[in-house]
Amino acid sequence: MDGHGIAARTRAPVFLALLAVLVTACGALTPGTAADPDRPRTVPSQTAVPQEDITLSLTFADAPALVDALAAAFHKRHPHLTIEPRYTQFADYVKSIKLTMASDTAPDLAQFAVGMDDIAARGDILDLGPYRDAYGWRKKFPAAALDQLTGSGERAAEGDHLYGVPAGLSMTGIYYNKELARKAGITRPPRTLAEFDRQLAAVKKAGMTPLSVGALDSGGLHLWAALLNNAMEPEKYRAWVKGAEGATIETEEALAATAKLVEWSRKGYVDEAAGGTTQNDSTGAFVRGRGVFLINGNWAAGQLSEAMGKKAGFFLMPAAHEGARAVSSGFSVSYAISSRTRHPRAAGAFLDFLASKEAQKIVAANGFLAVDEEAVPTPKGVLGDVARAHRRVTDDDGMNHFPDFTAPGMLDPLRAGVQKLLAGRTTPEAYLASLQDVWDEQYGSGR
Amino acid sequence: MTAAAGQRARRGRGGRRAGRAWRGYLYVLPAAAVYLAFAVLPALHTAYLSLFEWDGVTLGEWAGLRNYREVFTDPALRGAVFNALVLVVFFALLPILAGLVMTGLLSLPRASLGGAGSRRRGLGVYRLLFMLPQVVPLVAVGVTWRWLYGEDGLINETLGGIGLGGWARPWLGDFDWALVAVGLVGTWVLSGLCMMLFLAGVHKIDPQLYEAARLDGAGPVREFVSVTLPQLRGELAVALTVTTVAALASFDIVYVTTGGGPGEETTVPGLLVYKLAFTDGKVGLASALGVVLSLLILGLVYVINRLSRTERT
Repeated sequence: MDGHGIAARTRAPVFLALLAVLVTACGALTPGTAADPDRPRTVPSQTAVPQEDITLSLTFADAPALVDALAAAFHKRHPHLTIEPRYTQFADYVKSIKLTMASDTAPDLAQFAVGMDDIAARGDILDLGPYRDAYGWRKKFPAAALDQLTGSGERAAEGDHLYGVPAGLSMTGIYYNKELARKAGITRPPRTLAEFDRQLAAVKKAGMTPLSVGALDSGGLHLWAALLNNAMEPEKYRAWVKGAEGATIETEEALAATAKLVEWSRKGYVDEAAGGTTQNDSTGAFVRGRGVFLINGNWAAGQLSEAMGKKAGFFLMPAAHEGARAVSSGFSVSYAISSRTRHPRAAGAFLDFLASKEAQKIVAANGFLAVDEEAVPTPKGVLGDVARAHRRVTDDDGMNHFPDFTAPGMLDPLRAGVQKLLAGRTTPEAYLASLQDVWDEQYGSGR
Repeated sequence: MTAAAGQRARRGRGGRRAGRAWRGYLYVLPAAAVYLAFAVLPALHTAYLSLFEWDGVTLGEWAGLRNYREVFTDPALRGAVFNALVLVVFFALLPILAGLVMTGLLSLPRASLGGAGSRRRGLGVYRLLFMLPQVVPLVAVGVTWRWLYGEDGLINETLGGIGLGGWARPWLGDFDWALVAVGLVGTWVLSGLCMMLFLAGVHKIDPQLYEAARLDGAGPVREFVSVTLPQLRGELAVALTVTTVAALASFDIVYVTTGGGPGEETTVPGLLVYKLAFTDGKVGLASALGVVLSLLILGLVYVINRLSRTERT
């Protein structure tokens, strides 16, 4: 029909226009941008603190109270320098940090997180190597803590680019309820893995839940890592986490550690509710007297000390032999400098301030472990247990990365994998193979 | 009237009609612009991204249909789709059944007494109670149910209290029961919605139909099956559509209660899209999975609509 034809003819340009908009929109939305080769990749080597008024923005996810206190103390020492903290919730932080650091409005300082290697590879954070020498950071910070923050700028396993500097440290271990332990005839922390095995059996025999694990989120991988730390040579393990050429987790040692986890679960040593319990909930249940032992990190020490007082104790997962190297898993609350900052020297001054006695006291007061245990008085009770264990690990250069630092996609296979191991739904061999698959995808298998 | 004049007249009419049509588009424009900017373009953009291998920041790499091949061959992704289909039973079928039963009970007096005004007393209270899950944010629902399902939670305590302690288990950590447990949370949330839809539908039914049925000697059950149910066909289609979409696109409840565990027992596509894009840095694969999920949902919704339409005529 004629009329219809006219309407159709008048409509056609509209559709064409719409189509054009869509096509151009798609063209402009080619995903991602390439790195800018003109931006500096490294900090200057002078340490002179600039004297003009400067405000530095700091984006972070952990411990707002700690950051506020550090910023205030830093401002007091350098009144013309101001730190402006910007807080983001951890889960959102990890997801947005790549984009934040790639944007033109990137903050001057940023808390280091999983995936920072990619950010460094893009040139969005500066190599702090010159500061390390100029400020003498090798003497001020524990070697293992700096090592976790070192890479080639392309690959974490090589090179000596420094990505960040730690403020406070974290570490995992095993808490125990002294009162309940005594009921099972346990009077002291185990010194060997075999002794711990016997203690778990004794608790089970006494009709109590031996080991609480919050395996719904990350408690399971902490338990696995704790066993692995004492089975696999730390240097070999770290090479794997950092993606060194040819590294693998499919080793005899890792298999033995994984088999131990399965054995404990089969014998009923691990709380059968583990797979359905978060770390927080497992800690709460431990406080209420469910579970004689609990795997968790130093971040729970404050809560446990407050709720249980002298009843709570802490020890590191024991090794096969007494007097072996003290190894544990941990990381740091650490900060990196954006390559878009206009004040790299002021930012450097803040990072160096983190090593000061004053900063370390603030760190310890906020529940983190100090980078230098000598700088702060050893606290009492379970907090003291944690601090002493941490000093042993630092002295033995025994701080390993958390296993999920291997690749951004590693957390899920670890979490789901340990759940399956605990339920007997997979074999240690298949579990390790699934982790190595993720590793191969990240770092390439044939290299 | 000559043929030419007739043609002119028709053309004139056509012109007016075109003008009217144009005015119509003008009215639609604001809504269409919003829809285009916030629904159509992002959807097309997602489809476009699915053709790339992209980590979300650095320059993407053209991947063609590789991501789609992975969606269909990776057993983990296929397992997630299967889990979502299981959830349809709990998110769609059970709530509709529950909604129908509740509607039947709540509209019973009105139907059997015949008077439109004589409603069951306290109907408002029931409606409020059953509607409540809809009002509570799903994250709060998830956290609450995580506690209820916990080892020392209310459900296990109750089982122990009535002598079924052997059935107590960490529901969300149990490989055989986690998906059922998560599904029942959905049943709890969506039953109220279905009931509200059906109750609203019941009020539109002509009371004469009930009167006729009663004159024919129908009891309350017969009334429900022969009068209420057929008259609710439209509402049933809406409820089925809404709840099926909720099941296939489920994310919040699963994310909060189990995070996809234990193992991958409760992993659903929505959760995977989120994880792939934001933690694994595989935006292209996540987009491809999103596109496939959308097509699956569109297909199912189309089938539901077709079925309800053919039954009506």
